[in-house]
Amino acid sequence: MRYLIGVQTSTYINMKFEDIYEPIEVITHFQEGRLRPLRFKWNGRVYKIRQWNGFWINRQGSNRQYHFSVQADNSDFVELMFDDADLQWQIARVCLDG
Amino acid sequence: MAENSRTRMIMHIDADAFFASVEQGFNRQLRGRPVIVGGEAGQRGVVHTASYEARACGIRTGMPLIRAKKLCPRAVFIKGDFAHYRAVGESLREIYLRYTPRVEFTSLDDAYLDIGDSVHLFGSPVYMAREIRREAEEKTGVSLSFGIGGSKMIARIASGLDKPRGINHITPEHEKAFLRELAVEHLPGVGRRVKEKLVDLHIFTVGQLAALPRLAVEQMLGKNGRTLWKLANGIDEREVERKVVPRQISRETSFPRDTGDEKAILGGLQYLTERIARRLREQSLSARTVGLKLGYADFSRAARAKSLERASSDGAEIFGMVRYLYGQMRLKRVHIRHIGVSVTQVRDKSVQETLFDGPRRAEALNSAVDELRERFGFMAVMPAETLQLKSRYRNDAHGYILHNPALTR
Repeated sequence: MRYLIGVQTSTYINMKFEDIYEPIEVITHFQEGRLRPLRFKWNGRVYKIRQWNGFWINRQGSNRQYHFSVQADNSDFVELMFDDADLQWQIARVCLDG
Repeated sequence: MAENSRTRMIMHIDADAFFASVEQGFNRQLRGRPVIVGGEAGQRGVVHTASYEARACGIRTGMPLIRAKKLCPRAVFIKGDFAHYRAVGESLREIYLRYTPRVEFTSLDDAYLDIGDSVHLFGSPVYMAREIRREAEEKTGVSLSFGIGGSKMIARIASGLDKPRGINHITPEHEKAFLRELAVEHLPGVGRRVKEKLVDLHIFTVGQLAALPRLAVEQMLGKNGRTLWKLANGIDEREVERKVVPRQISRETSFPRDTGDEKAILGGLQYLTERIARRLREQSLSARTVGLKLGYADFSRAARAKSLERASSDGAEIFGMVRYLYGQMRLKRVHIRHIGVSVTQVRDKSVQETLFDGPRRAEALNSAVDELRERFGFMAVMPAETLQLKSRYRNDAHGYILHNPALTR
């Protein structure tokens, strides 16, 4: 699990989290046994990942779900999930503000 | 070093507003903002954890979410994700175990470390605490508070005094003075009722309680009085145990809408029972007493418990008792909003030799089910009645995502 320190928070009004769990396409970088999402395509739009906040693993029997907390280039917080059971990426959660 | 000659030094580590702290750690937009974990703002249910920013607005654990929204309209409400918190809890475990092998994990966010033998490797206990705090913050974003003392009680009290991110070291020569001035409610075991009794007797500090004769405290407070008197006098010989047998294991949930549908209620109860049974078997435990709690739509509550003939970790056997209790309790013609199952008298499992092969058959069946679940997830094998919940809750391989996901374990 990695975590980056810094950046003061900005003020958002009516921030809301929404569960999505929809399959998405993701360009991923694999290096030294680690995977790191770089870009994802959701609803026809490509988002570049600007910041990587951290990841955690959820064990589902012998399978693993890798959750990534990232910030997209439009400043939205997004949680991406890679399931090694079907090798599929999903957009798990988004944080909406306003 | 001989066991009796080594210096006893216990560190208690408590994560600050754990669930909220995890959310803030993984989403920097949340840092500095009031965060409430427990459910969405308009949803019914209660606050499970409030960040320190939310606490400053008067939000407390257990407060209805609707009231929390009124008190702090700018707060961010999060349903929570227990799988995420568990993963972060595991990361914290890994960190602690690098500092000493003697760790007692009392919950996901709470642990005792016996650092008597390892503190010399780090120079001082405070330096050790700073290192653990730095590592935990770097890896998980969670802030921790530390209490260090000669006993579990001193360490626990000390960790709660300077939150968040506090480090309190009470040296042996200061322990008596530390306890003397402390408000009596800081002692473990002093709840609202005991405090009221003590206040009636003009006992406000631990020092005042310690000065009373032991027998007087025992007469006043019964069996608990002896323990409290000992603790007030700084006597706490409890060791840091690597395996802790919990006193109780419980699982509860609220329905998204009040219901009178027996199939849904029993399905929910069986699902919660299965989760408890799995936890018992995972830790090689069994339990004797089964409890059932029902919360009605009119906000009244009912609870009842009954013991099994012998301790068990078999979901079907425990659910048999839950079903019996439900039959005894379900006399009120009011819809149900909340259900809960608990087991107490939990003990280390010992397979009893029996004349008949019923229990052994159940053991074999359970171990096959556990193996399947280990491989394919909890939902791989489910009792048929719990399938009623499919139309009500979303599920993943790990289980149903209940109304209060922060508590869905």
